[in-house]
Amino acid sequence: MKTRTIFLSLFLVGALCLTAIPAQAGSVRGVTDTSVKLACLVDFTGPGKFAGPPLAMGARMYVKYINDQGGIHGRKIDLVVEDNGILPNTTMQAAKKVIFKDGVFAIGFNLGSAGTSAIIPLCEDNQVVLMPHGANKKFYKPGNKWVFVPYATQFNMASRAVEYILSRDPKARIGIIYQDDSFGRDGLEGARAAAKFMKTRLVKEAPYKIGTIDMSPQMRMMKEADVDWILLWTYLPQTGAVLKERLKMGWDVKVIGDNTTAYRLIFPLIKQLAEGYLAVTPFVPWEDMPSEVIDMVKKYGDYEKVSKSPFPAPMYLACMAYFRAMIEGIKNAGRNLTPQTLIKGLESIKDLDMWGMCPNMTFGPKRHCGYFSSLVVRADAKNQRFVVVDPIKELVTPQY
Amino acid sequence: MGTFKVNYRQDTALFQTLWVKVWLGILVVLLIVSPIFLSRYQISILNEMGIAVIGALGLNLLTGFTGQISLCHGSFLAIGAYTSALLTSKLGIPFWLSFPLSGLMAAALGMIVAVPSLRLKGLYLALGTLAFGFIVEYVIFHWGLTKGDMGMAVRRISIYKFAFRTEKQHFYLITGFAAIAVISAKNIARSKIGRSFVAIRDRDIAAEAMGIPLAKYKVMAFAVSSFYAGVAGCLMAHYQKWIVPGNFDLSVSIAYIAMIIMGGLGTILGSVLGAILITGIPHGIVYLVDIFKESYPGLSGFIVDFKLGLFGLVIVLALLFEPKGLFGIYWRAKIYFKTWPFKY
Repeated sequence: MKTRTIFLSLFLVGALCLTAIPAQAGSVRGVTDTSVKLACLVDFTGPGKFAGPPLAMGARMYVKYINDQGGIHGRKIDLVVEDNGILPNTTMQAAKKVIFKDGVFAIGFNLGSAGTSAIIPLCEDNQVVLMPHGANKKFYKPGNKWVFVPYATQFNMASRAVEYILSRDPKARIGIIYQDDSFGRDGLEGARAAAKFMKTRLVKEAPYKIGTIDMSPQMRMMKEADVDWILLWTYLPQTGAVLKERLKMGWDVKVIGDNTTAYRLIFPLIKQLAEGYLAVTPFVPWEDMPSEVIDMVKKYGDYEKVSKSPFPAPMYLACMAYFRAMIEGIKNAGRNLTPQTLIKGLESIKDLDMWGMCPNMTFGPKRHCGYFSSLVVRADAKNQRFVVVDPIKELVTPQY
Repeated sequence: MGTFKVNYRQDTALFQTLWVKVWLGILVVLLIVSPIFLSRYQISILNEMGIAVIGALGLNLLTGFTGQISLCHGSFLAIGAYTSALLTSKLGIPFWLSFPLSGLMAAALGMIVAVPSLRLKGLYLALGTLAFGFIVEYVIFHWGLTKGDMGMAVRRISIYKFAFRTEKQHFYLITGFAAIAVISAKNIARSKIGRSFVAIRDRDIAAEAMGIPLAKYKVMAFAVSSFYAGVAGCLMAHYQKWIVPGNFDLSVSIAYIAMIIMGGLGTILGSVLGAILITGIPHGIVYLVDIFKESYPGLSGFIVDFKLGLFGLVIVLALLFEPKGLFGIYWRAKIYFKTWPFKY
């Protein structure tokens, strides 16, 4: 009996000690007189883990640059990088952790569109501004007060691809092979919108299920529809499969793809087959990066790593661009930093200079997408690099 | 020292000794006061655990008690979640009505899945349920109403004019439902139905020879299990306020199987402990990473890189050294204290 009583008392005392954690102090979560806490949610362990380290490095690089200049309004940026595993459930856990446990002021970057969808209500409830990567048009139309998209969406880029094709060949017969998910369908919608605006239509639409590698059925459908151009809203393995199939069929059809394939990784993957492959992307190739960006990478990042990265050099810079937008918003918000003033600060960003690495950004109360424009690059297999064939250009197709 | 039962009433009592009642009373008090001391993050973890407890109880009734393996438990969560989301948003049905309806919808579909189980056993049944999971995933992915992989918004829980907004409010609601689920499962287990489930699990031919209709009880087991999953999915949807197909993929079904195996197959307490453990491990790793972040950043990075491996390692070690799950540990601890200072 005595033992039980002791055990019970110890258990109760232990439980109370463990649970007695003081509540968070301060009027605005994540903001003190000397710092602002921002989160960067990237994937280190999930299906998109290849992107995690370069994205995180990009964010750290820019935050270091800002802090080196004394921060914003006397406040240093305190960056919390968290693994979101890219999937909805893991992203939800990561978002709860950075909001509830770390107490961040805003989420400057979140990788994954489904995960972003899942955490929007959490951000709304807790007044957290969120910047999603892997963005979809739905994030800015109808949009959400708390969501800002500092990157062209697949809708925007597919519109750009169709406009590029029709500007060169107004009578082109365009077909599209797209991944049957939000990424591919957003591209499909953008391509349809641009085709309709330019008074034509896509002659064939061929979806495939995520993970499919054999693209021969889709290519046969394109051949039967007698298309001149194939628009690819696919990931790198499927793009490679399409280009191999094109060679096998002995068909000289022109192919243009999305930004997820405009990386150097395509060259070791399909070698000479990549020659002449076109892609739409908002970021200029690494070799054409402006000197301001190169200097910043040299001073605050790992230049060797970034410049020799077999793949996504722009990935380092994409995350950097997100934090440039977020920090500009914080700057515009002034010393009285609250979630509401941050929204106003972000909405007041006009033509934010991105040094030419990607389109300049503009937000507004009715515009939560930083830019819609992008450029077209061509694969140069011999020199293993992409070259710009059509520079950053505003779209004529309405994007709202 | 021992507890002696002299009639069936005592043998099947819900709370068998005074000590059980005392401990439960303490637990209830702790649960009521804990949100006062816990941070929002910790309460949010408890909320996840509460929902997982309901789902795990359902799966344990099917797999642990009746011996029917299911690889589509996550799909029943999805059915409950999407049913309630659609009922509340499209038809304007209040939560208090959509909650049971989501369970009933899942139960109805569970009964359909049960039909092949009358002829399939073991791995074949597992494959059959897996196929059902793929069908559900395909439907919610492609059906216009469910809005594909970008998901759909779900209304906040509100009962009459009271809307649940904070983690604390959700905690009391979810914990309340979890408590009802535990008591209901305990009641099912000690009733004729529960004993029939166990008889079917132990030897179905013998059970049938004793007059237990296999078809009826197998279908019932699937229905009850799916009902639990459906209401868990409904709670999850309204708690998160947004659902996407990715919330209910195969990994969720596997996580639930891990919960009941780690907790203890065929035990109610095991379902609770397993749900707490499996839901808690990723959060435990987060705490571990934060502890080492400043002093040992290398170790912290290593934990992040290998967290899935660590998660798997914990499960493998637990299965190797404690095949009866957490319930086995609990049972040994209980015996130790009951017989102290003597060895059992």
